[in-house]
Amino acid sequence: MNDHGPGFEPDLDEGSIVARAQDGDLAAFEHLVLAYQYRLFRLAYRMLNDRGEAEDIVQETLTTSWCALPMLADVDAFGGWIYRLATNKCLDVLRRRSAHAESIVDSDDMDAIPGARARPVSAGWDPAHEAEWSAEQDGLTALLNTLPPAQRACWLLREMHGRSYAEIGVTLRISPTAVRGTLARARHQIAEGMSQWR
Amino acid sequence: MALDDIPRLGCGRSIDSIWATTDRPPTAHEERCEQCQTARTQLERLSEATRALRESDLHNPALEPRHGIKNAIMDVARAEVRRGSRILLRSADNGSTEISEQALSSLVRFAAAAVPGVHSRRCRIEIRPASAGPAGEDPPPGTTGTATTAGPRLIVNLRVAAAPGIDIPLMAEALRHEISNAIPAGVGIGAGTVNITVEDLYDV
Repeated sequence: MNDHGPGFEPDLDEGSIVARAQDGDLAAFEHLVLAYQYRLFRLAYRMLNDRGEAEDIVQETLTTSWCALPMLADVDAFGGWIYRLATNKCLDVLRRRSAHAESIVDSDDMDAIPGARARPVSAGWDPAHEAEWSAEQDGLTALLNTLPPAQRACWLLREMHGRSYAEIGVTLRISPTAVRGTLARARHQIAEGMSQWR
Repeated sequence: MALDDIPRLGCGRSIDSIWATTDRPPTAHEERCEQCQTARTQLERLSEATRALRESDLHNPALEPRHGIKNAIMDVARAEVRRGSRILLRSADNGSTEISEQALSSLVRFAAAAVPGVHSRRCRIEIRPASAGPAGEDPPPGTTGTATTAGPRLIVNLRVAAAPGIDIPLMAEALRHEISNAIPAGVGIGAGTVNITVEDLYDV
C-alpha cells in the first residue's frame, strides 16, 4: 500500500489508470492530474502569456475531464483528448480577447512571468553566453506570439509537446496534411524573424 | 489550407523538405543553391532554439501552476464523485445493507493486484438476487446471515490489461481465485461469476 491507497499499483500503464478514473477512482484521477497539470500549464502559458488565465485553463480542463471521462471510448486516447480540450479552451480565450480588441502581445498589461523568460538550466554558464542564449529564447517566444493563434497552437503542440500530426489535426479540425502545411508556415515565419535579429 | 500553402523558395524547394533533412549532409542541389543554403542555416538555428526552449520550459519552476490547482481540481472531483449503483447485500427486518459498486470494485482490484502481469481496468458488478435462484433454495429459516450459497450472488465483470507473453487462461484463473476469495471475506456474499476480459496488452 502507498499514498494512493489500497489497490493502486505505482507501475500501472496509463490506459489502466484512465480506466480506473472512468470508474470513479479518485486516486487514479489524482495521478492523471499530477501527470498532466504541468504540461497543460506550459501549453496554456505559451498560448496566452498570462499566468492566471493559464491556471484557469488547467483547472477547467481537468475538472471537465473528470465529468466527461466515462464517455471516453478509448483509454489510450486520454492524452490526445486532454490536450484537445485545453487547446480549444486557449483558442476560445484568444477569440474573446480579440473580440475585445485587446493587444495580445502588450506584455505591460499582462500578468506575465518574469522567470518565464527562458533561462539556462545548468549552472556554471559563461554570463556573456548566458545573456546571448537568453536573448535568443526571448526572441523565439516573442516571434511565437506574432503567429496567428491556430498556427501557434500547431507549433507548440508539435515542437514543445511532441503530439502527432493526426492528433493535432483532430484538435484544430484540419487534415494531417494541413497540419504539415501550417507547421511549415509557422517555422518559415519564425525562421525569417530570427534571421532579422542581427 | 492545402499542401500547396507550404512556403517554397525561389528554386522550387519547400521549406518543409529542407526542415526534414537539416540533420543530413547537404544535397548536390543545396551545395550549389544559395537560397537553400540560407534557408538551411535559418532552419538549423530555429531547430536549435526550439530544442533549447523545450528543455528550459520543461525545467523552469516559473512555468508550473501554483500548488493549489491540484487541490482545487480534486475538491471538485470529490464533490462529484461517482460511486456507481448501489448493491443490496442483505435485507432483513432489522435493516438492509447496501454497498456501492465503486467500493466493491476497489475490493476486486485490490484482490486482482495480487496476480502478477495484469492491470485491472474497468469493473462492472451486478447482483443476482437470492429469489432468482431455483425454487426451493430459500435461505434456511431463522438465519439472518448472508454467507450461504443460496443467498444473493454477484456477477463481476472485470476488464484488464495483461503483460505481453503472459499465459492468459492461467492468469484469468488466478484472478478468479483471488476475487472469489476476497469478496466473501470482505462483504460476506459469494462471487458467483467472475468474467474476465483482456482488453489490451500493456507495454512493460
